[in-house]
Amino acid sequence: MKLRPIDLTLAGMFITLMAIGANITSIAPFMMVGSVPITLQTFFAILAGVILGSRLGAISMVGYTLAGLVGIPVFAKFGAGFSTIFSSNFGFIISFIFTAYIAGKIVERFKSAGAYITASLIGMAVNYLFGTNWMYMAFKLWAAAPPAFSYKVAWLWMMAPLPKDIILAVCAGLMGHRLERTVLSKGQFKYLKRAS
Amino acid sequence: MMDKMIFGRYVPAESPMHRLDPRAKLLMVFIFVFIIFLANNIATYVVIGAFTLLILNMSKIPAGFLIGGLRPVFYLILFTFFLHLFFTKEGDLLFKWNFIEVYENGLRQGIFISLRFAFLILITSILTLTTTPISITDGLETLFNPLKKWKLPVHELALMMSISLRFIPTLMEETDKIMKAQAARGTEFSTGPIKNRIKAIVPLLIPLFVSSFKRAEELATAMESRGYRGGEGRTKYRLLKWESKDTILLAAIMVLTVLLLLLRS
Repeated sequence: MKLRPIDLTLAGMFITLMAIGANITSIAPFMMVGSVPITLQTFFAILAGVILGSRLGAISMVGYTLAGLVGIPVFAKFGAGFSTIFSSNFGFIISFIFTAYIAGKIVERFKSAGAYITASLIGMAVNYLFGTNWMYMAFKLWAAAPPAFSYKVAWLWMMAPLPKDIILAVCAGLMGHRLERTVLSKGQFKYLKRAS
Repeated sequence: MMDKMIFGRYVPAESPMHRLDPRAKLLMVFIFVFIIFLANNIATYVVIGAFTLLILNMSKIPAGFLIGGLRPVFYLILFTFFLHLFFTKEGDLLFKWNFIEVYENGLRQGIFISLRFAFLILITSILTLTTTPISITDGLETLFNPLKKWKLPVHELALMMSISLRFIPTLMEETDKIMKAQAARGTEFSTGPIKNRIKAIVPLLIPLFVSSFKRAEELATAMESRGYRGGEGRTKYRLLKWESKDTILLAAIMVLTVLLLLLRS
């Protein structure tokens, strides 16, 4: 697959959108619920897969990960730098690649609104599965955590943000479907999508 | 905030570390991440600590920035330390107070693992503190160039990263503008239950998507009209130069590896 310039720029824009999604609370304080910031990274990762397609979506998320690693402040709290690899949350960042790929794959096959929502939910599930396992491994490897830190504890930790992420995933699916039907299939943005 | 966005975590200064080739620094960090796991006794930790201090000293980065880099993981380091201190029950009993028991091996493990963590973070931070995102991207692109054979879009990824670096401030401003425009039209952003706030992201994000699609389209048109045809045969404005000091850095990390292999128990 040869990448057209428009593919490159769109993927670049999605990296930028991910950066904004990760730090949306600094621009839009209303995304702060209590003291918990709502981040839109999973949201944009799903939409990258849905809008750019599985392959380009995944490439763009690889770009996002690398952009953060080389020091462009695209991670949450304007984080960046190679030291992020040792943070226990790095698995979630890596998982966006698979989230985008899988969400894109599903949407390429089925086109209904239901399929979009299913794709988003599966994408989010991938995000959780990969991220939590990575976190567990990171604690075991980098911190050499003793057996008291069990696999179950890692999952209990992740249960708190689950409801809001499910809502956001459904929201992402609906928005992806809507964008596809309106903005991307009529008018000036028609050619953004590759004919596949 | 905008300066932070453009330079990332780079701290401009004149130092031997700043002048090194980004490829040399990348390779050094890459090797360091692996060899730090070789350290398992006091001698090896002293050697690796001395190396880290040397690098830090050579970089002339003010201590404040280094501490800033450690801050996000500071609690993790503390947590690791106490975890080992209280839960490793091997070796001689050093200290006992009610149910708290501290054993010799626990203390040792606690100190070692937290030090390992701190060294890793410090060395990797030095890379991003002394090198601009653009030159690390250039370095990565050249290092990964051989992977093009396996259809990995190395050049394209580097370009995407540069595009994002350029557009982050622009789109941030845009988001702010959209929010104000929608608020002027009556969208309630700041109050209400969670349900309403999640609903409020629709009038915020749809215009943001449209605007970023528009920018992507304009940029692609500009690239095409200037004859962009991909990375094949493209020349560069900034050229990377490998000098003898870069070889010395790699030699130093090799020496460190050998020392660690000899000293570890």
